[in-house]
Amino acid sequence: MIPHDILTLYSAKMLEYGIAILFLLLFIPFWRFSQSTATALATARAAVPARKKAESGWFPVPADRLFHQGHAWARPDSDGLVTVGLDGFAARLVGPLASVALPQVGSKVGQGERAWRLMTDDGQGVDMLAPVDGTIAAINTDLAKDPDATIADPYGKGWLVRVRPDRLRANLTNLLTGQAARRWMDETVAGLQARLSPGLGALAQDGGVPVSGMARVIDAANWHGLARTYLLTSEKEDGRA
Amino acid sequence: MSSDARALPARGWVTDKLFLGLSLTDYLKSLLTPGTIIAGLIMAVGIPVIIYRFAYGLGAATNLSQTNPWGIWIGFDMLAGVALAAGGYTLATSVYIFGLKEYHPIVRPAILTGFLGYLFAVLGLTADLGRPWNLPVPLFISWGGPSVMFEIAWCVVLYLTVLFLEFLPPVFEWLGWKKALSLANKTTIGLTVFGVILSTLHQSSLGGLFLMAPTKLHPLWYSPFIPAYFFISSIAAGLAMVIVESGLSHRAFKSRVDHHVDVDKLVVGLARGASIVLFCYFFVKLQGVADGDRWHLLGTGYGLWFLVEIVGFVLVPSMLFAWGARNRRVTLIRWTAAWTVLGIIVNRLNVSVIALNWNAADRYVPSWMEVTLSLTLITIGISSFRWIVNRMPVLNEHEITGRHHA
Amino acid sequence: MNLNRRLFLKVAGAAGAVAAAPVATARAAEGEVAPEISSERRGVLVDTTKCVGCRACEAACTETNRQPAPAMLDDPAVYTKGPRAMDTRHYTVVNAATTKAAAAAPARFIKRQCMHCLEPACASACLVRALNKTPTGPVEYHKDRCLGCRYCMVACPFDVPKYEYESPSPFVQKCTFCGDRQARGESPACTSVCPSGALLFGRRTDLVDIARERLYAKGSTYVRHIFGENEVGGTSWMYITDIPFDQLGLPTNLGTYAYSSLTQASLAAVPFVLTLWPPLLMGLYTFSKRRADVAAQESGDQEAHDE
Repeated sequence: MIPHDILTLYSAKMLEYGIAILFLLLFIPFWRFSQSTATALATARAAVPARKKAESGWFPVPADRLFHQGHAWARPDSDGLVTVGLDGFAARLVGPLASVALPQVGSKVGQGERAWRLMTDDGQGVDMLAPVDGTIAAINTDLAKDPDATIADPYGKGWLVRVRPDRLRANLTNLLTGQAARRWMDETVAGLQARLSPGLGALAQDGGVPVSGMARVIDAANWHGLARTYLLTSEKEDGRA
Repeated sequence: MSSDARALPARGWVTDKLFLGLSLTDYLKSLLTPGTIIAGLIMAVGIPVIIYRFAYGLGAATNLSQTNPWGIWIGFDMLAGVALAAGGYTLATSVYIFGLKEYHPIVRPAILTGFLGYLFAVLGLTADLGRPWNLPVPLFISWGGPSVMFEIAWCVVLYLTVLFLEFLPPVFEWLGWKKALSLANKTTIGLTVFGVILSTLHQSSLGGLFLMAPTKLHPLWYSPFIPAYFFISSIAAGLAMVIVESGLSHRAFKSRVDHHVDVDKLVVGLARGASIVLFCYFFVKLQGVADGDRWHLLGTGYGLWFLVEIVGFVLVPSMLFAWGARNRRVTLIRWTAAWTVLGIIVNRLNVSVIALNWNAADRYVPSWMEVTLSLTLITIGISSFRWIVNRMPVLNEHEITGRHHA
Repeated sequence: MNLNRRLFLKVAGAAGAVAAAPVATARAAEGEVAPEISSERRGVLVDTTKCVGCRACEAACTETNRQPAPAMLDDPAVYTKGPRAMDTRHYTVVNAATTKAAAAAPARFIKRQCMHCLEPACASACLVRALNKTPTGPVEYHKDRCLGCRYCMVACPFDVPKYEYESPSPFVQKCTFCGDRQARGESPACTSVCPSGALLFGRRTDLVDIARERLYAKGSTYVRHIFGENEVGGTSWMYITDIPFDQLGLPTNLGTYAYSSLTQASLAAVPFVLTLWPPLLMGLYTFSKRRADVAAQESGDQEAHDE
């Protein structure tokens, strides 16, 4: 309600219309600019094939385990200890092992902290994160003779350690189970599929079971980097809050 | 819930829900992080300041004067706080009204930020009011209908209620109250619509307050369109704040976050939206200058500052958001968002404190106690955010604890 | 103006103040227009050409309101200290004009107080009607309702309301136009003691007529404008003078629109938003839901087709 005199009103109004028209002219190209993707990026994405729905049968998720996002599982037992191992996805991802470097009995582990190392026959090691806080009460000594048991039967004979938990209830809030775990596993697989290029057949497109050592097939040069990304043990982060 | 729940040692509700399953001593020990210590120090100074302000009055604690009745508790805590809490309604609308389901993972933190933002804006206002115990008067006792402030009071009270109700689903999930949860989930659309209405009204009205100061507010900021300016910029403020908050949360709460949500993709999407809003906002402000025929003022000192605000803090971030989104430069987007948040704060302070009374002899500068109180309220807000996020399914809605969520 | 005459008038004025305040009728003061108008709007015409700067009005005001006496009441040097502002304990002040006229020109003074606008910005701004315009003129303050938000202070174009920042239980303070005295049929304390007739209390329409007569009289030296006749929609207190108004410290950049009109457009939008947003938003919701359903159906068909 600032009073204008009629003469300045003419020029003010023309200017306003002018700015409005300028805006409309600029808006169309700006909309297209801001809502699009840069051509280099778009071509790269187009090279990746469209996702197929992940088969949840590839990595069955046992109902009695609690899963950590670093792909380790925990199962509280009736004697108060927690059995810990790695899950089917991690097993398939890493593939045949030369050895497993487990922590010593009596040492402490923390949820989300590096706990054991999977050594492959090319001398590379991939760390994994512990799913719970506590003290190591027992380790699976069979793995010294047969490290591949971890890969062949990750939920049974391939268990890794048994932990006396410190704060299990607190740890539980960060672990997945049941339907949530299944959904998480599905999404993990879907994410992995997005990295595939056709023709390598690391995951048979006809729905077959994935190859052991998927990481090496996907990215031969830097498979351990890929594995660490999924197991949350890359250099910069170790998954801990 | 898996059958193993029965094998776990039984704990009390307090230990489980409040102390994250730890004993009291362990829990207190776990609180000793650098962040908590800094927060504690701020509160150690801030809480006595708050007490002092209420014991000795506004004159003792602030630099407010008869010429400058409003300071940073209005300009920053109330105005900027409410604008930056707009992420609640913008995200809720995007997800529930526009159907952009891919943003669902960040709706809850946005609503929580909104709720805490409004709560602490209201607390800042309470500190600023001379007679805060009369807060029920405009609600129940005496109604000043023609007053814009009256409309704001009602809208803020109602909207705070709406935000609280919108946040109940995660609370009920935390407590395990299934019936209450299903009831709460049914109200989402209605609450979202009501929330948008209330937000439109009070975001614009906070600007409308300054319509009553045509001789006091500098002509480049005074315009009959201030309500529209405030409303449009609140959308950009909300989007930018959600980008900033999600970046900080994902670093601070790494183990709570759902690692399989492509947050970067969502951030790029938000940046695209913010770039358009800021682009339009720039032109709308320009139109205001044309409408009032104020071009000649752009050459003055305040004119230059106005240009810094609309070019540096609006047009430039708009371009950066667009370019960053196109090239998927998430870090650039995050920094641009922080810059935009700063720009919103600059704008609100300009309208309420800097460009208001611009030609008065007696100018206002906040006292250290005013700054401390504002900082303390922010610290309490962040601490509350952290407390809630550590316990309730906010950052990861895939029922980390295995409970079903609709 | 020579000191002796001023001193005489001041003493007379002070004596008059003692006699007139706080009780009894004050109609006897010279030049007052009959204030027996019960329901019509009252006002005050301030003719600064008649004001001698005695500040009897200030003394009467503080006495009626039981406030501490104004500083330097007997000392004309108060005018050399620059214009004073009203404050929480002094509802009115008399300032000297910042005249740029020749040394021989008469000094001009102006009494400042709440203007009791016809459409007060403060009352329109107040969210609890603590500041409330009465039909007869005074803008009164209901302290029990006040929240202390100080929006009235932001809104007032004359910077009238003052705030008790130093108190833990603060109130807004401003001139009350002696509403309680007016209710008893008396005139305000200040107008009742003015010895020179600079303050004329009466029916506002009559005061406008009187002012016009003076302004347009033959040989008048007045500036031909009644300040407050139309400014901000009109004020109860109006000023006439023979020097530029800005030299008296009055704001000259005010329009004639009432301040309440400034916010009416944006408040009028409220019912529109309340009515139109729900169908708009629910329409968008239905539209987006429909699109999502169609898309889901199509992808389901696609999958069936693929298999």
